[in-house]
Amino acid sequence: MSDRSIPRLLQTPAVILLLIWMIVPLSMTLYFSFIRYVLNNLRRPEWTTPSPSNWRGFGNYEYVLNAKDFWFAIQNSVFIVSSILILTVILGLGIAVLVNRSFPGRGIVRVLLISPFFVMPAVNAVLWINMILDPVLGLQGIAVDGMNSLVAGLRDFPVLGAFFSLWPEIEPISFRATQTSAYAVIMMVTWQWTPFAVLIFMTSLQSEDESQKEAATLDGASPWSQFINLTVPHLARPIAIVVMIQSIFHLSLYAEIEIVSRGNGNKNLPYLIGEFASNNIGAASATGIFAVILANIIAIFLLRMVGKSLMD
Amino acid sequence: MAAVTDRSKLSTVLWPVLAWTIALIFFFPIFWLVFTSFKTDADAVKPEMLFSFTPTLENYTNMTQNYDYWRFATNSVITSTFATLFALFVGVPAAYAMAFNPSRHTKDILMWMLSTKMLPAAAVLYPMTFLTKNFLGIFDTHFLVILVLCLINLPIVIWMLFTYFKEIPKEIIEASKMDGVTTWGEIKDILIPLAWGGVASTALLCFIFCWNEAYWTVRLTTVDAATLSKLIEGNRAPEGLFFGRLSAVSTAAVMPIVILGWFCQKQLVQGLTFGAVK
Repeated sequence: MSDRSIPRLLQTPAVILLLIWMIVPLSMTLYFSFIRYVLNNLRRPEWTTPSPSNWRGFGNYEYVLNAKDFWFAIQNSVFIVSSILILTVILGLGIAVLVNRSFPGRGIVRVLLISPFFVMPAVNAVLWINMILDPVLGLQGIAVDGMNSLVAGLRDFPVLGAFFSLWPEIEPISFRATQTSAYAVIMMVTWQWTPFAVLIFMTSLQSEDESQKEAATLDGASPWSQFINLTVPHLARPIAIVVMIQSIFHLSLYAEIEIVSRGNGNKNLPYLIGEFASNNIGAASATGIFAVILANIIAIFLLRMVGKSLMD
Repeated sequence: MAAVTDRSKLSTVLWPVLAWTIALIFFFPIFWLVFTSFKTDADAVKPEMLFSFTPTLENYTNMTQNYDYWRFATNSVITSTFATLFALFVGVPAAYAMAFNPSRHTKDILMWMLSTKMLPAAAVLYPMTFLTKNFLGIFDTHFLVILVLCLINLPIVIWMLFTYFKEIPKEIIEASKMDGVTTWGEIKDILIPLAWGGVASTALLCFIFCWNEAYWTVRLTTVDAATLSKLIEGNRAPEGLFFGRLSAVSTAAVMPIVILGWFCQKQLVQGLTFGAVK
């Protein structure tokens, strides 16, 4: 045994564990995706046990591709993930630059800012959709109500009243409809993950070359052009990391969608799989295989983006 | 000159005000959750009682008496702690091997590991339940929850440790090899002390993710190994009902980890880089 083989063997437990964790479920999913397999069917009880005699070939795949929800779910997954990525990177950059300067109470500001990252996703969803965004009982409903009664009160005033009587009643927005609940999910996940972006950008900003900035200031460069020409290039790698880690987490977003949407039509790919899996395991498995393919396509992109600089 | 000082004066006031405002906006939902937990269910939905109400601990006493909060909390502590320890136990040697003896495939192995996190859990839920219930008989055990939590976080743990270990000069490790130090000794006496900050941040982040996991922990447990996510799941009432109760349960589920995060804030600010800083 050479010098190097013992240390290299040390990665085998991790590799084997993850390989089992991947291959056992994946091969079962692959198998189920080619057979008819449902949990409840009174007319065809033989379909309720997985068996090769229920072979369906690519039937499940065809069924899934023709389901109207499938393309919508893919589109919606991509929409939700990319919206969250754009928002968290922009907000994260702005906030990281803001708290990088020293000012009174910076320590407390940081603590307050990163707190949402520690909140359980299920609690995050319950809190936002009920207590904040609910159109009647949530803070949104109460705020809109307050605005409307304020305007109504102002209508009784002599001169101002004429102006305020033109003011329309504001309607609270319901975040339980298909489209709006996707916005609600984007909002709550952005709230939770912006602190993560802030944390990573903040650490990187601390390593920024201050003398370069001072030179730029002496040369009369505006703060904005310094930010664009010096800070953003310096943050290219952290941005790539934030995008990669978040893509991994948000592609499998589930709890938030489940709690916010509750069958109102707003779904992403994992949620669609969950819906199928309540009865039709075959279709759920075929959708799962599509999800694996999608994940791999995205992984290749991420690999190109981050992988190159990973090893140096 | 006057214009310059005016401008810098303005920015010395404006800057902190802006930072504080944003921080308070971000923190507000958490504050509101804790605040509402001291209202009764009836008061929590009355607009006129938004800020003026008689605070009560009713929700909390209710929670500990009727919902067995401490059992869920104990399970969360046990499973998150052991999953984190186990992930480090497997992850540290792996990251050590990858950082100091990289091969042509190291990058691919790392990326493959991360890609296992993208597998759709919902697709394998049924086979997993079936396997653990009928074949292995480990459904609803601490062992299963610890194993699953460890496996889903292992890729992130290895990735993070790898990025820290990579920053340690190879010569230090080589020198210790010359002195005849064993591999285990190298890891224990040289690597971990040198990369202590990184190992601590990794452990912390892993613990947070374990605590907050809500897909597998809810679906692979019923009673014995049920964690706080399961408690939340059970208390998710239809909209508008039981805001007080819901807030108390949620507060009790998230505050331990939020407070832990506050204490370790410095560690996270310096340590959470994922190799983004050179």
